[in-house]
Amino acid sequence: MTQLISKKDLLAWLGGLLKERLLVAPTRVEDLILFRKVDQVEEIVLDFDNTALSPKEWFFPTTETLFFVERKDGQVELTPATVEQEVVVFGLRPCDASGIAMMDSPFLAEPADTLYQQHREKTTLVGLSCLTACPECFCTSMGSAPNDPTHLDVLLTEVEEGYIVQIVTEKGKALLPDELLSTTEVSPPSPPSPSPVPSEGIVNKMRQNFDAPYWSRVADRCIHCNICAYVCPTCYCFDVRDYTDKGKIERVRSWESCQSPGFTRIAGGYDPRSTKGARMRQRFYHKLLYFPEGFGALHCVGCGRCVRSCPVNIDIREIIQDVQKLGAPSEAR
Amino acid sequence: MNSTEQICNKAKELLESKAVECVIGYERATDGLTARPLFVYEPAEADKLIFDQTCTHNLVRYLLDRRDKATAIVVKPCDSRAINLLLNENQIQRDKVFVIGVVCPGIVGASWNQTSEKLQDACQSCQQHTPVIYDFLVGEPPTSEPAIPETYPDIAEMETKSITERRAFWAEHFSRCIRCYACRQVCPGCYCSECFVERLDPLWVGIRIAPGENEMWNTIRAFHLAGRCISCYQCERVCPVNIPLSLLNRKLEKEVLELFNFQAGIDAETPPPFSTFEKEEKLGVGE
Repeated sequence: MTQLISKKDLLAWLGGLLKERLLVAPTRVEDLILFRKVDQVEEIVLDFDNTALSPKEWFFPTTETLFFVERKDGQVELTPATVEQEVVVFGLRPCDASGIAMMDSPFLAEPADTLYQQHREKTTLVGLSCLTACPECFCTSMGSAPNDPTHLDVLLTEVEEGYIVQIVTEKGKALLPDELLSTTEVSPPSPPSPSPVPSEGIVNKMRQNFDAPYWSRVADRCIHCNICAYVCPTCYCFDVRDYTDKGKIERVRSWESCQSPGFTRIAGGYDPRSTKGARMRQRFYHKLLYFPEGFGALHCVGCGRCVRSCPVNIDIREIIQDVQKLGAPSEAR
Repeated sequence: MNSTEQICNKAKELLESKAVECVIGYERATDGLTARPLFVYEPAEADKLIFDQTCTHNLVRYLLDRRDKATAIVVKPCDSRAINLLLNENQIQRDKVFVIGVVCPGIVGASWNQTSEKLQDACQSCQQHTPVIYDFLVGEPPTSEPAIPETYPDIAEMETKSITERRAFWAEHFSRCIRCYACRQVCPGCYCSECFVERLDPLWVGIRIAPGENEMWNTIRAFHLAGRCISCYQCERVCPVNIPLSLLNRKLEKEVLELFNFQAGIDAETPPPFSTFEKEEKLGVGE
């Protein structure tokens, strides 16, 4: 039995949700599609390829206070920040839901990152299946699919009559009342087929080719900005700093990336990744070797954002293809 | 012979004769449509080089990674100003750089998997179709350059707005900044070994990706480029959240032009206004 919601009922439901919770959805800002807090249903864009930035900032904000420290009556008082707001993220693609599940691995491993955990608990994910694949997409090579409901609470798939509804979790069931749904004979459209990328066996190839001259050739054109890391739904590095104001201390974390100069600089000034080439290689080694070694999966969901946004066309799909062609180290040298 | 063939042949010749170790030019990107930078070290690889109206990158920034190594570089007229800028600021050595200048037909809007029929904004009012510096020229130079004075129409329009409107405009744009620093990384004028934004002592700007810090970052960067920006629009091209950064940088270019009759990168000799001082100069303070 397939469940359906009409477009009118969907918008009415979202209109109700935004009155009681923070509703985050794709909106149009300066020719960009961005996940933004929505005040009116009319702001929501339903017809888009994918957003310019991933929805990760709603779990791992660009900047977030971790705690406050204050001296009161001779006592030092520490107040941790907490997440109060219930959030619904609407309209994320299945690849981005996989990205959030991937961030769970480092952030929820014991001891869990309490703020991230609270964001996760307070947020419900309502996804939209992709009806077309962008030329830069490769989710099916990274263990997901354009219609993959796995890491969502609810998945909607647009059809002529409205949206086919898949309730995936109890959280999703609690959010979307049964009375808005009808049953239908309509079958979902067959999902698009993104171009495949030869990801099979890449971990081992990476392990063999750390010293390959190939990396410095790719690094030649890398400009070492942080775009790839910041548009990525899975990159999770941050920096931490204390701000002081009249004796009150606020500890803040903000996004940071392995591409930054000084990212790995340690006390005494030594920086094991001081060269640009070493920093660029690190990005791909984290995605295709270190993360899989630590958590099992390749650290990429195939959303294609880094491919689309890179100013100099550093293309992870091409890198995977090229590394697959590199020989074992004895042959490579 | 078209531009691509001339560039390929020259690159081959320079590499075969070992006049340079590397030629920096363009090749086709993985979308099969736009261009990306290419570093060529072997004569046999030179055939990958291309030049067409999607070659939007200013490659001059890469010379800073190869200061002591003989390098040839493909430049458009706007990019060529960056070579003069870096020569003027003693960042590169003239005898280490072989400049392959291209007479430019204008560049079209080009981003991942997309090209526009229309020329980019900067190219529509371009006044320089022949590079200002080159060792080898690709293409036929026009008999005369258009004598349109620099008008900065978009900046003139911005100047008519009130301070409140301008503040709101930039606050809205800067609120989207994610501090990826792509604007800095692509800029031929942003080569400090330690950027002020990464300085810890003294701390100029905190790490927050938030309106106050974003505004501070973008404003200070713009001031550091006053009289140095060569208006190549690269900052604006690479910004992943579409902040119209060239509007800010060219505003300061316009100010410097009006105050000092100076534009960066036109030649490599004129001392930049902020590196020199003359007694007669007005300070604009208490006058």
